[in-house]
Amino acid sequence: MMKVFPAIIKELLTLVRDRAGLLVLFLMPAILVVVITLVQENILELTGQKNFKVLFLDSDQGGLGKLLREQLASGNLELVVQDAKQARVGDIEAAVANGEYQAGIVIPPGASRRFQKAAARLLQPDQGAARPQDSLVTSLYLFMDPAMMAGSRAAITGRLQNALAAIALEVKLSMLSKTMQAALDRLGVPPGSTPLANEKLAVLFRQPLLAVTENQVGGQSGGVPQYNPVQQNVPAWALFGMFFTAIPIAGSIIRERTSGVWTRLMTLPVSPLALFAGKAFAYIGVCFCQFLLIALIGIFLFPLLGLPAFIIATKLPAVLLALLLSSLAACGYGIFLGLACNSYEQASTLGATTVVAAAAIGGVMVPVYAMPHTMQRLSIISPINWGLDAIHALLLRGAALPAVYGDFGRLFLFFAVCAFLAWKLALTRQ
Amino acid sequence: MNHEKQWRPDRGASAVSAERLCKRYKNAPAPALNDLSLEVRQGEFYGLLGPNGAGKTTVISIIAGLVPPDYGTIRVMGMTFQKERNEIKRIAAVVPQEIGLYDKLTAIENLVFFGKICGIRGKKLTERVQYALEFARLTGHARSQVATFSVGMKRRLNLAVGLLGDPRLLILDEPCVGIDAQSRNLIHEQLTAINRRGTTIIYTTHYMEEAQQLCGRIGIIDNGRLIQEGTPVILLQQRGKANLEELFLDLTGKGLRDS
Repeated sequence: MMKVFPAIIKELLTLVRDRAGLLVLFLMPAILVVVITLVQENILELTGQKNFKVLFLDSDQGGLGKLLREQLASGNLELVVQDAKQARVGDIEAAVANGEYQAGIVIPPGASRRFQKAAARLLQPDQGAARPQDSLVTSLYLFMDPAMMAGSRAAITGRLQNALAAIALEVKLSMLSKTMQAALDRLGVPPGSTPLANEKLAVLFRQPLLAVTENQVGGQSGGVPQYNPVQQNVPAWALFGMFFTAIPIAGSIIRERTSGVWTRLMTLPVSPLALFAGKAFAYIGVCFCQFLLIALIGIFLFPLLGLPAFIIATKLPAVLLALLLSSLAACGYGIFLGLACNSYEQASTLGATTVVAAAAIGGVMVPVYAMPHTMQRLSIISPINWGLDAIHALLLRGAALPAVYGDFGRLFLFFAVCAFLAWKLALTRQ
Repeated sequence: MNHEKQWRPDRGASAVSAERLCKRYKNAPAPALNDLSLEVRQGEFYGLLGPNGAGKTTVISIIAGLVPPDYGTIRVMGMTFQKERNEIKRIAAVVPQEIGLYDKLTAIENLVFFGKICGIRGKKLTERVQYALEFARLTGHARSQVATFSVGMKRRLNLAVGLLGDPRLLILDEPCVGIDAQSRNLIHEQLTAINRRGTTIIYTTHYMEEAQQLCGRIGIIDNGRLIQEGTPVILLQQRGKANLEELFLDLTGKGLRDS
């Protein structure tokens, strides 16, 4: 054990003086996590957390536009109202088409008048038909950015239709209330004896009778952050960077093997296990520093860029254990690569390819649930997926430690298999 | 500072005893060693000569415990690797032909690391590191990274690392390759001094002049066999040759071995 410490110090000194290597280890995941998280804003769209910029042109200038603006004021639609005297429908269409705005709403001239007339006609005695009549419908124009995802389109359309339905309902209720009042007056019913003919009618109709109560699964709703690109990307790219340490570990072993260092070490009274343990401990420290850097970016930099902050307040010891096991797996793989490959070129090519592939199928670039079914099943073979799944389970689902024992076991088994193969190769190389 | 050894060699006793060593590497057309036996006595400066591919490095690797022989036995100071591997590693040091140093570390960091790996600690480590730096004439460059050293400085440090554990047996694989005359001369002087103090040295080289100057006894290997062994003077007299190079070419032929 006493020989592990000099091996750790030697490894750290070598690493600290390799500035290019350090840049790759720390800068690469840091840049990737910022860029990819910003690029992945579409996930915000998918999850309904993004504000959509919507142009609003009220060519009608009647009451309908005002009511619609009031209805759309809350929520995630950012209305940009255009001057009706200067803007034209074509301008709105062009601005949306070039992606400047996600949608454009145009209220055509005379829309309010037609709408009021249609509402009034609804309760006329000659409107007794039992089916909807197209002649009563007043159309508004909606332009959508063609490059927008289907989920976002549905979100905007849904908001607009809800707003229009609410306005229509208000007007219909008002009309109904007046009509009822007139009818009751004719019948001599005293005012206030029935709720059908006063302002209470609108309130009564607005009263919800059915509701959905959303519950957090896992029973840990308190303090568990919501899933968003930040919660996805911070641990994902940190794990990617951590597994990338396999390449410098392999490189350091290959340099030792191709120089006379390995020969010298094998003639000294030291076990290869102590030397590998020194490397592993040193790089586990590097892996934790990588995670710390990425987490700090998530916590402090992302809010400045308009993204949600990374939250890691819950289950910290279990998350640290997940990081330790992921680091062990990465180090084990690096040591195996260093002994299996005969040159740095081989190790860097094989290492980079396998780590990127493991990251891709492991849910780093695209969350596993968004992958095709076959790829979702394939993700189970990726050690990065085991680490990511465990961290997500702990941070997002509020899972207890036993829930991630499977992932922890797989990570440790991966390390053990890599270490065993490395040990056998070390004996062969000797 | 007194760096004199406590240990004294039992001159005449065996330092390395190799009996009927055979070794064939996987996919090799011919065996690297073919029934090779040799004996190196304690306190000897033994030169191992041979053309490229003759089997010198294989012999050294077997003596150092890096590779096991397919057949035959090897004893180092009377011990076998099967039973006393760690003890042998403590008393024997190998200086590889390649530079076995970390480029990114300074000279002193390399020495401290290898010293600790040898199990040396505390005051003794400080003394041995100081001795090694003086030996290599690198005291003024102790805190410079090895990457900035000349080939000669690296070779001297490479050798100095081998002396950290105060070995009873020092195995040197071409320690003077590619260095200038000054560094070579320094290494020769230092090795002679170490040998006089009792360290057994096994030395491989392609420089015949060097072998003639340094070694008390030489063994010439070819095709995995020991084809000649003795003191340079006696060998030259026996074969009627003026120098070791003539003798070597006479024994091993003038044809290229790696063409």
